[in-house]
Amino acid sequence: MENDMKTLSPVHPPQWPLKFLRLILKEEYLEEIEGDMEELYSDYVERFSPSKARRLYTLEIVKLIRPNLLKNFASFRRGSPLPMFQNYVKVSTRGLIRQPLNSFINVFGLAAAISICVFAYAFARWTFNRDQFHQNKDVVFLVTSFADREGYLQQYGTTPRPLGEQLKQDFSQIRNICRIEDRPVIVKAGDNLFHERVRFTDPSFLQVFTFPLKWGVSSGLKDLNSIILSEPMSEKYFGTENPVGQDLLVRLDKEHVKLFRVAGVAQAFPAARSLDFNFLVHFDNLKTLDPGYEASDWAGLTQATLVQVGNPQDATAIQQQMGKYTDLQNKAVTEGVHIRSFQFEPLATLHLRSSNIRDSVFRGGSEENIVSIIFLVAISLLMLALACFNYINIAIATAVRRLKELGIRKTIGATRRVIIGQFLTENLVVTSFALLVGVALGRFVVIPWFEGLWNFTMDFRFADPLLWIFLPAVLLLTGFASGIYPAVYISRFQTVTILKGSVKFGGRNPLTRTLLAIQLVFACIFITSAVMFTRNTNFLAHRSWGYGNREVVYAVAPDALSFEQLKAVMARDPQVLSLAGSADHIGKKHRPVTLKFPDRELAADLLVVDAKYLETMGVTLKEGRVFHEENKADRQSVIINETMARNLGWSKPVGETFRIDSVRYEVVGVAADFHSYSFDQTIKPAFFRLADPAECRYLTLKMSSKEVYDRLRKAWFQLNPEVPFQGGYQEDVWGNYYTEIGIHGHVWRVFATVAVLLASLGLYGLVSLNASGRVKEFSIRKVLGATISSIGLLMLRQYALLFGVALALGIPLSYYAIRFVLDFAYPVHIPVTLWSVGLAAFLLVTVLVVTVGSQVMGVFRNNPVTGLKAE
Amino acid sequence: MKKTKLGEFEELVLLTVAALQEDAYGVEIKRELESRLKQRLSVGSIQSALKRMEEKGFLTSRFGEATQKRGGKRKRIYSTTSHARKVLEEMKEIRAGLWQAIPAVAAQWKMI
Repeated sequence: MENDMKTLSPVHPPQWPLKFLRLILKEEYLEEIEGDMEELYSDYVERFSPSKARRLYTLEIVKLIRPNLLKNFASFRRGSPLPMFQNYVKVSTRGLIRQPLNSFINVFGLAAAISICVFAYAFARWTFNRDQFHQNKDVVFLVTSFADREGYLQQYGTTPRPLGEQLKQDFSQIRNICRIEDRPVIVKAGDNLFHERVRFTDPSFLQVFTFPLKWGVSSGLKDLNSIILSEPMSEKYFGTENPVGQDLLVRLDKEHVKLFRVAGVAQAFPAARSLDFNFLVHFDNLKTLDPGYEASDWAGLTQATLVQVGNPQDATAIQQQMGKYTDLQNKAVTEGVHIRSFQFEPLATLHLRSSNIRDSVFRGGSEENIVSIIFLVAISLLMLALACFNYINIAIATAVRRLKELGIRKTIGATRRVIIGQFLTENLVVTSFALLVGVALGRFVVIPWFEGLWNFTMDFRFADPLLWIFLPAVLLLTGFASGIYPAVYISRFQTVTILKGSVKFGGRNPLTRTLLAIQLVFACIFITSAVMFTRNTNFLAHRSWGYGNREVVYAVAPDALSFEQLKAVMARDPQVLSLAGSADHIGKKHRPVTLKFPDRELAADLLVVDAKYLETMGVTLKEGRVFHEENKADRQSVIINETMARNLGWSKPVGETFRIDSVRYEVVGVAADFHSYSFDQTIKPAFFRLADPAECRYLTLKMSSKEVYDRLRKAWFQLNPEVPFQGGYQEDVWGNYYTEIGIHGHVWRVFATVAVLLASLGLYGLVSLNASGRVKEFSIRKVLGATISSIGLLMLRQYALLFGVALALGIPLSYYAIRFVLDFAYPVHIPVTLWSVGLAAFLLVTVLVVTVGSQVMGVFRNNPVTGLKAE
Repeated sequence: MKKTKLGEFEELVLLTVAALQEDAYGVEIKRELESRLKQRLSVGSIQSALKRMEEKGFLTSRFGEATQKRGGKRKRIYSTTSHARKVLEEMKEIRAGLWQAIPAVAAQWKMI
């Protein structure tokens, strides 16, 4: 005992085992055992080496783990709640099986709503994933320029030609520059000719953008004679084999043909991209094949210049020093567009901005998609709400069947919280089941359907970490939203009243009725939308373009000679009613010009056409006269459209004059308005000028028979066997337009069908529960001589007020909602009539009558005795 | 003996407690038993036996003094209850009775 101090002070027992002890041992034993352990340790230290003492000590601690020394881990002792939850799951699956109709309504409804959520998610994911596969997306920038055009400052994707080279010389931070210039070419494969677009670009293209190659090497682009193909192009020209090393004959124009050697084939492009390519060749090929291209001309423009920097801040720094380049450009350009400033747009966010950037090689669209996403999110939330309402209504209506169970549970000690927990758990089981079905529906039905409509792929995959956050979130949200009210409501009943059987409730719950009414309102809106979009599709498809697009065909010739030859052949055709030549063509090509007046400027579209053009195209003349070919003075005459006359405030336009670049023009006629863009855009000021015959490239034919088109093609191939035919029916000029509005109608009809289905399912569930609860009453009525119709009316009366209120709210709401949506989506649309809303109301009432009718029929088919005997 | 059984190890611990009197606390009991049994014992086994017997009513305990060697923690001194002493006496008698019976049957043992 005397040497206590000596041995104890240098060596203390290791601390962590003691801490561990404190964690696991019963509080009341701690002091004693800790003391024992410390005493023991000092014994060990006296006898053994410190390390051995520590080892033995630790071993002793481990040996202390004995059941009667350990803390009471309450949960382990009292039994885990797991079996209880297993019981809930079992009870709810049994419930699902016992009531197949209700389960179907719940699971199917939720699944349908969830499938739409999954679709909305996939669409949003696809939109925001655009271009994110580029590894350098944060350090690659598109150089854009700002310039005044058409009266206001606009952003352009084009830049002066020498800018790229100059930037690279001036700034050491720039790692790579990459110019892009597209040219139409003709690719010859055997005897077939194809029109293709080739991207002339710098070899850095494949470093700036992440497009891995399937075959070949990316350095191949450095060679002037090499070409890199996309996967579809490789398949088109060489089949499934590796084409690297093979030759491809490319004709740039009539004089220049070049043989390229395939240096590589890109892997299939990711679905979410705003830039890709078919063919890549070295940029310098432009010089050899197109001698007019002067790369050092500051007045000329390149379609795109991209820079890659070391880090994103460099771009900001460079952007601030771009002023000298605007000066260079402005000095070089005498008559034309002066660039005001430059701005760097990062590749990562370009897809969101590209619809604001004009003349960009990057396809726009994400912005419109964001609007679609907002709509989709709204629709998926509405659908989820509808499905949840169904669930809530049915849960409350069927609660009566579970009252006894509840009473027993409460009697043997379940608290209200436990009951709520039980109901929420059960709900989660149903929702999980619905989630499984819904995800499958979304993945295998909704998404492929939508992809098929628009002919694209969203690249939806399950290996997406965000999806696995999204799905549980949907599960919890839906489970909670649909489950919390029924759980709270049902758990509120008093045990005694339940067991006495004196609980009174049924379909009279005010919330049930409110929810049903809201459902009906939503259904009303959806049906109205579907009707309106379908009618609008029809309306837009039959709207006049302002010219005859049904009986007109056109063809484009590459030069004046082939145009004249084709015109001469077709002029002899007896079924051609009228034929015209033009340098521009409605819907295909027009020239933006700025008209100068002493007090103002006006941006307008110029179409250079011959004297027969208006007649052939079917554009009506409102005032004045058409052009006269032989009249030389008519070269300075123009025919303007009504919008232009209105914009200029001319009440008598004939005889007025204006100037373009110092040339004076006189208005000789006014043409009726026509759409030279799609209907989505409002009509712009436009005017025609008489063409010199040598300018004409477009041949337009008005025909009395569709056969003319075939003869036109045949004539073309006889005259120009080396050049593919370009042309078509005038109505196909906006081909996508018809398909697009058709798809809108289609999508809305599907959503409306789902919404109506959900609402009718809910209604059916409620009515059938109500009917089954009143079987005794109905049986007695029947015995006493009630007719089917009187009982039917009795039930209908119950819903009359509900429907009245729902429709009174729904009809005006639908009317304004659809008007808002149509105004938002289309600049011009069919006027919204109350008639379409009426149709929605009629449809809903029909659903009600059919539902009630089927239930009453069911009651009547049965013997009243069985109804009365039923317990 | 009927209701609460006393295991062999427990009996040894109980006897040690009785023998040690005022010194009957965890580690001391362990040391005493180890030296007598010539076998190493763990604190866990001793402690769990003590707690078990305290629950069964063979032992009572109180806090004793705290020493520096124990890191300032108090000892818990165990003492046997009268019930325990009665049980121990009974066991001893039963054993003694059995030992007395042995010579009579010893010859038969050897036969086997």
